[in-house]
Amino acid sequence: MADVTLTVDGKKVTAPAGTLLIEACKTVGIEVPSFCYYPNLSLQGACRMCLVKIEKMPKLQTACTTVISEGMIVTSDSEEIKQARKSMLEMLLGNHPLDCPVCDAGGECELQDMTFSYGAAESKFMEAKNHKDEQQWSPVVFFDRPRCILCYRCVRVCGEGMDVWALGVQNRGVSSIIAPNKEDHLECEECGMCIDICPVGALTSGAYRYKTRPWEMKHVGTICTHCGDGCKTTLGVRRADTGMEIVRGDNRDKSGTNGDFLCIKGRYAFDFANHEERLTQPLIRKEGKLTPATWEEAFQLIGKKFAEVRDRDGGSAIGVIGSTRTTNEESYLLSKFARMVLKTNNVDHHRTADFPAFAAALRGKADATASMADVFTAPAILLIGNDPTEQHPLLAWQIRNNVRLHRSRLYVINSQAIKLRRQATNFMQIPAGAEGKVAAFLAGDDAAADAIINSSSTKDQWNSLRDTLRGEQNLVIAFGSEILGSDLSSLVTFGSAIAGAKFVCLADYANSRGAADMGLYPDLLPGYHPISGSSEFHTEWGEIPQAAGLDLSGMVEAASTNKLKALYVVGSNPIGRLKIDSFAFSNSFVVVQDMFLTETAVVADVALPAANAYEKSGTFTNTCGDLQLVKKAGEVTGTKADFEMIVRIADAMGFDVRKLVPIGGGTHADMGQSRGAQSGEADRHAVWLEAHGLEPKLSPFDPMAILDEIQRLVPGYDVSRMNLLAGNSQHTSLAKAGPGVAHRPESISPANDTLFSSGTLGHYSRALKSVMESHEVKPAEVAAD
Amino acid sequence: MASLVSHPDEVKVVTRRFGLGATNIDRYLELDGYKAVQKALGMDADAIINEVKNSGLRGRGGAGFSTGMKWSFVPKQSAKPKYVLCNGDESEPGTCKDRLIFEHDPHAVIEGVMIGGLAVGARSGYIYIRGEYRYLSIIMQKAIRDAYAKGFLGKNIFGSGRDFDIYWHGGAGAYEVGEESALMESLEGKRGIPRIRPPFPAVVGLWGGPTVINNAETLASVPHIMLGGAEWYAKIGPPKNGGTRLFCLSGNVAKPGVYELPMGYSLKKMIYEVGGGIPNGRSLKAVVPGGSSTPCLTADEIDINMDFDSVAKAGSMLGSGGVVVLDDQQCIVKFALRTMKFYQHESCGWCIPCREGTDWLKKTLIRFHSGGGVKKDIDNMQYLSENMLGRTFCPLGDAAAMPTIAFVKKFRKEFEDHLDGRPCPYEKAGVAEEMEALSH
Amino acid sequence: MPVLKNIAAIAKGMSITFMEMFQPTTVENYPDGKGPLRGARFEARFRGAHVLQRDENGLEKCVACFLCAANCPSNCIYIEAADNTAEHRVSGAERYAKVYNIDYNRCIFCGYCVEACPTDAITHGHGFELATFNASNLVYRKEQMLASRPAHMGANVVFNQADVDGGAPKEMVAGS
Repeated sequence: MADVTLTVDGKKVTAPAGTLLIEACKTVGIEVPSFCYYPNLSLQGACRMCLVKIEKMPKLQTACTTVISEGMIVTSDSEEIKQARKSMLEMLLGNHPLDCPVCDAGGECELQDMTFSYGAAESKFMEAKNHKDEQQWSPVVFFDRPRCILCYRCVRVCGEGMDVWALGVQNRGVSSIIAPNKEDHLECEECGMCIDICPVGALTSGAYRYKTRPWEMKHVGTICTHCGDGCKTTLGVRRADTGMEIVRGDNRDKSGTNGDFLCIKGRYAFDFANHEERLTQPLIRKEGKLTPATWEEAFQLIGKKFAEVRDRDGGSAIGVIGSTRTTNEESYLLSKFARMVLKTNNVDHHRTADFPAFAAALRGKADATASMADVFTAPAILLIGNDPTEQHPLLAWQIRNNVRLHRSRLYVINSQAIKLRRQATNFMQIPAGAEGKVAAFLAGDDAAADAIINSSSTKDQWNSLRDTLRGEQNLVIAFGSEILGSDLSSLVTFGSAIAGAKFVCLADYANSRGAADMGLYPDLLPGYHPISGSSEFHTEWGEIPQAAGLDLSGMVEAASTNKLKALYVVGSNPIGRLKIDSFAFSNSFVVVQDMFLTETAVVADVALPAANAYEKSGTFTNTCGDLQLVKKAGEVTGTKADFEMIVRIADAMGFDVRKLVPIGGGTHADMGQSRGAQSGEADRHAVWLEAHGLEPKLSPFDPMAILDEIQRLVPGYDVSRMNLLAGNSQHTSLAKAGPGVAHRPESISPANDTLFSSGTLGHYSRALKSVMESHEVKPAEVAAD
Repeated sequence: MASLVSHPDEVKVVTRRFGLGATNIDRYLELDGYKAVQKALGMDADAIINEVKNSGLRGRGGAGFSTGMKWSFVPKQSAKPKYVLCNGDESEPGTCKDRLIFEHDPHAVIEGVMIGGLAVGARSGYIYIRGEYRYLSIIMQKAIRDAYAKGFLGKNIFGSGRDFDIYWHGGAGAYEVGEESALMESLEGKRGIPRIRPPFPAVVGLWGGPTVINNAETLASVPHIMLGGAEWYAKIGPPKNGGTRLFCLSGNVAKPGVYELPMGYSLKKMIYEVGGGIPNGRSLKAVVPGGSSTPCLTADEIDINMDFDSVAKAGSMLGSGGVVVLDDQQCIVKFALRTMKFYQHESCGWCIPCREGTDWLKKTLIRFHSGGGVKKDIDNMQYLSENMLGRTFCPLGDAAAMPTIAFVKKFRKEFEDHLDGRPCPYEKAGVAEEMEALSH
Repeated sequence: MPVLKNIAAIAKGMSITFMEMFQPTTVENYPDGKGPLRGARFEARFRGAHVLQRDENGLEKCVACFLCAANCPSNCIYIEAADNTAEHRVSGAERYAKVYNIDYNRCIFCGYCVEACPTDAITHGHGFELATFNASNLVYRKEQMLASRPAHMGANVVFNQADVDGGAPKEMVAGS
């Protein structure tokens, strides 16, 4: 749009036509205060804080509802305006309880800030304040009515942003009150967005209530460890007897792709970390019982056993199961450790999407994958299968708000009437299991149409949909794990004919994509390079076994015939999650690294207490392929990161860990000078060195050393390190990935998690279990106003 | 039915058919009914708008905006359907004129809506009637039914080949809905809260379509203009203030009632001649000239003409025509409290200054009137009102602030008389009971 | 006559010395004085060991807002907060300090905590004999600093629902 120039407080401001005055002021550093205005939500004009003087207008005007026009002359700072703001705050504070010392928002409250900047020092009112008792709307949402300033942000974010419409306004005038959808409580998606967006302490979190004060915590912006979307959550951590306790999750750091968004899992389900059943010391099976032991004892035993099996029965007698929730560095290290140290290709993980087929289909196609940010800006989106509202809440948010704010066209093809159909331009319901046929039909196989037509659609409708889709540009095609193998390649064939089309392959766990990219497969090395072939890994890693190993079901079978002598499970629970017989590995030496005594850990010979993703550093790749930095927030004494444990086991096996973790390299920077400078300066210096790969890696437990190798060797991971360290998401490309291999469709088993479950982590999260929606029938959808 | 009053100075235009049984459609037809709309059907839209423009008809709801101008803002071409709304949500304390129109001459309103529709190119209209006027909506519904039965509404009206539909809609008891955009929200089934402007209703109104919304009295005047001609109508009142106006005279006058007087009629004459003066040998203290939201005038300020411009010059507003007369035995503080009680109750709660301001003013006035006031309160009330004025989302905040400012400024002495724990000087007895009643 | 001048100066100076010699001593007789303070005297504004105050109902004034800790330049205040419940009410607001420690090894008696307190819960008392041979004794717990309850309520009792319901006041367990 054309630019418009106006004058604010004597400063020339140029902004695109259609910009709101309040936003235009921001661009030149003029702050116009407001409560009810919130970017990307509908306009209210209710709080009257943003009143400014516009020449030729008789009254003060609200900057949040005024669209800029050419030659407008605006004053944002005059006596009249100061008085208006002051009196507005006086009136607000008249009924505000002023219980800041006990209010959870105290210290990060917009009303406090505004009163400090613009308010009056004393009250003119003598009458009693209107009071109502605090209400609990759900285990995680509390509402303290007197603190509410009625900015309606919560109502709008719940309705417009989340499409839940669980909040509304009751009564009128001074009795106006924000009310939940079920008289005295909420039945909703429990995302807690209303709490985050509340400018005061009216809506507070049940998980964090009265626990501490904002300035008492350290705030760490890291990546959520639940679903595969990679939202950034800010964890508030506090010193505790057992290390650093995570007491709050919220959206304070809005730098992630998710912006304002977080679902219940990202906001509240960090509590598994503090669960009392956490393992905090290594356990070794002695006389049939798991007994506490020292780390040294455990590593020595594992090292001895693994080396023994490898040397006696060969590496193929050892199985390795990786995790979808460990960092890329750990998955890569595990893959490397298995091949180089254990000499086995029996490597697998809980697969929830067919990434090898995806990589193979996109091979050589540049810019063919969509980042999570692309989903928010694409002019059109095709969604086949999956229910993003439940399984990929951020993806659903991006789609919903793209439709709402950018009028994007959404095409939904699903066997269920999923909630996103409400935003869809075109929703087509298909028989269950027919998603693959849809791909075939779209790719041009008209015979497949019969399998996808049901009572609600006709062949003509399908033909016209296909034509419409072919006519789109920059279409984002997102599909669930229903589409695999050859169907997936048909879909890519169809999409590739559309100009600018990009794909998203949906997988379920926080680092499912990373586990696949890092080669936790029996027949693939990192970057989807087949094991029987040649790649940089074959040269860099030296002698590795060339024959494809066993996948998970192969390992189970081998164990039953006593061919699998040892099994190394890192952060995975195949017995609990994949319904494998508990006695399957009875004759093998089983080592499990996990947080809890899971169904798999209880049958282990050695169980090692692992740190979770909130307690270590590294990187995650989300389902779209966006690489993001994971930062250490919490700490539970007695646990170790999987990275350290893998290295220690390699060391115990007598392996030279320098070959596993490339340390000691880098230039010889003047460490003394860098460390001796002012602390802030030293940090920046270290960041710069790190970003350019110049920081010497001195510890074998430094994940950054492996990140160097990943960025050097894994195709598509050569992203800007500086941006990555700055906390931005960096999209990786599959264009240069290896050719992949075909897998059996049965090897993929979706997690089928909902908004209120999260595999093993969900099992140990009280917050997730506490909300009624997690165990009762879900409420009916509410019409969008 | 309320009994009708009359005075020789009255010029009967809108009230012409009052008391003549015009609710009956056949009787209405005998009284020149539906002739205006038939005439309008023979005119093109611009001609109708020009006729109304030339008549000097200004909005009778209170703002006094030229009706013809308002109609001309509606775009000729529109992708969405256009609408005509009749605002019959008459809730201003002191105003009771639309009520009589609905009661005595409902077809005039229907005719007005139809002419409005023809002028702007709308094919349907809504008549929104205040929730408390439930009994009038029965009359209105019958009138609409009768008009449909005669073929005046619906498909092919009067055989002209054009269609027009009218629906009635009842409010749920909110003063706020008298504000035009809030009325549209209410019509759409939402909370009656005003909309952000721009866009103005003439461009984006009901259901997103271009909408013209007029007061019931305005629309009821239109058929008479069509029949009598713009020139005749304009001449009744002073320049730029065409026609007559229904004045609702109430309070301490001998003969309260609704009088149709020409625009620009003297306020003094209205009180002392039309209204028969102040009874019981008392003298005049103050007049509220145009409904409770207009600033009051003192006894010295009443020598003015009742047209939009003259009243504005005197520092008040002609408003909706509710003239409330207070004699020397009335307590201004109590009157201010009664007024504020109304606005506090009716504030929709959307924006801070109106929601909080009216509540604090009410609380302060209750305490003040019961003798608990301190000197600082008087300034505080003025401060609060002045900070509400012009800063609220819709005019309701102004409507609460303006009279309060006037009360405090013009009758400061009376406020001071309430200080120091003194009981209200005008209250003979029973202050406690009064306070009890007020606190509800 | 410089010599005479010098002698005069010395005589003048010594006269003051001799005069003062016969005045009564003005040095505080601490610690050998009388009374509980053993001869020490204070100005009212003296900043001694802290006292955590109670309100007129005997409830603790502290609501665990952490502002004292935030304001403390030597970072010597440690607080853990907990919720009041209907059954167990300790402070007047929603929250109270379950743990409130001041480390007198570090406290510099600047009074910033008192300044910061929004509920006038923390005040400086006149306690000054804090010296000890064991540094760990200098970490004072809440129970050591809490003002005693008003006499009519009996000393050292926790105000809780049972009291209100007519039950006998319970002796405070923690730290008593």
